Amino acid sequence: MGRFPAFLISFIALTIGATSALRGAETVWSGLVIAENVAQPQPIPPELTRIEGSLKKFFGYNQFEVIGQSQKTLKTGQEDWLATSKFFGLHVDARGETEAGYVLNLKLYKEKELLLETDTKLSKRSPLVIKGPQVGGGQLLLVLVVQ
Amino acid sequence: MKTFEEKWTAWVDGQLSGRELSEFEASLPDKAAAEGERAGALKLGELLKRELSARTLTNEEFFSHQLRESVARLRETPAGQARETRSIWWTIPRLLWTGGASLAVFLVFTVLVMREKNPAEESQYLTQILNARVDPVVSPNATFSIFKVKQDRVTVLWTEGLQSLPADYAAK
Repeated sequence: MGRFPAFLISFIALTIGATSALRGAETVWSGLVIAENVAQPQPIPPELTRIEGSLKKFFGYNQFEVIGQSQKTLKTGQEDWLATSKFFGLHVDARGETEAGYVLNLKLYKEKELLLETDTKLSKRSPLVIKGPQVGGGQLLLVLVVQ
Repeated sequence: MKTFEEKWTAWVDGQLSGRELSEFEASLPDKAAAEGERAGALKLGELLKRELSARTLTNEEFFSHQLRESVARLRETPAGQARETRSIWWTIPRLLWTGGASLAVFLVFTVLVMREKNPAEESQYLTQILNARVDPVVSPNATFSIFKVKQDRVTVLWTEGLQSLPADYAAK
């Protein structure tokens, strides 16, 4: 076998191996966010920078404050975790990985009371925003992003 | 000392003279038979000279043309054989060209197939809401809508009718 075919095969094998390794180490950021309109808005948290335009345009608020968050690195796609604030809790239960992303069960609690439950296929390229209940003059948002 | 055969050949060719000639002719047992034999040999020699000499070609242009064609064919034969040999085995440039052409065809088909599949796959790569529910006792009028913002590929689950909460609940 010549040098070039050997090099090509090695390169492809390494690329496939590296890709598989990378697939198994993705992190999901989940956050409880209060969106509201204020006179002097704080800068948007770095986790939301990528979707800042959509958030402002879609919800019509000028400030987005993270009141609870969690970052989970998924290895098997079967993990579960909790993002909490003083009164709210977002329980995320990963129920498997597909080619496009993760199958998740989300439950929003107000203290111990279940407010909302949803099942979703969270894409690795597509963040998820859930409009929660009105809180004072603002809005609770649940945000999930595969980083 | 010449042998008899040498002297005989020289006598037939008329190259003996003087004493050597008279001595040789004296040694011949039958001079008349020898003279006849010499005459026959001379006749045969003349006949051979006449018949075996190169003939003058009357159509030399034709033969010249034939010869030139034969030479040309002989010159072409090695190249032809080489061409046949080369055509049996694929050379590296030919392999490269074939490989490149195959790759190009593959890419063209891939692009065409991807283009056809894109609309369906685009939605596959956006987050999908499979279902959503609330406690009907707490929020009996809750409704759900799903929006997809293509700009940032954001999927929004929009709820209406959830129970409103006081501002204290925004605490960290």
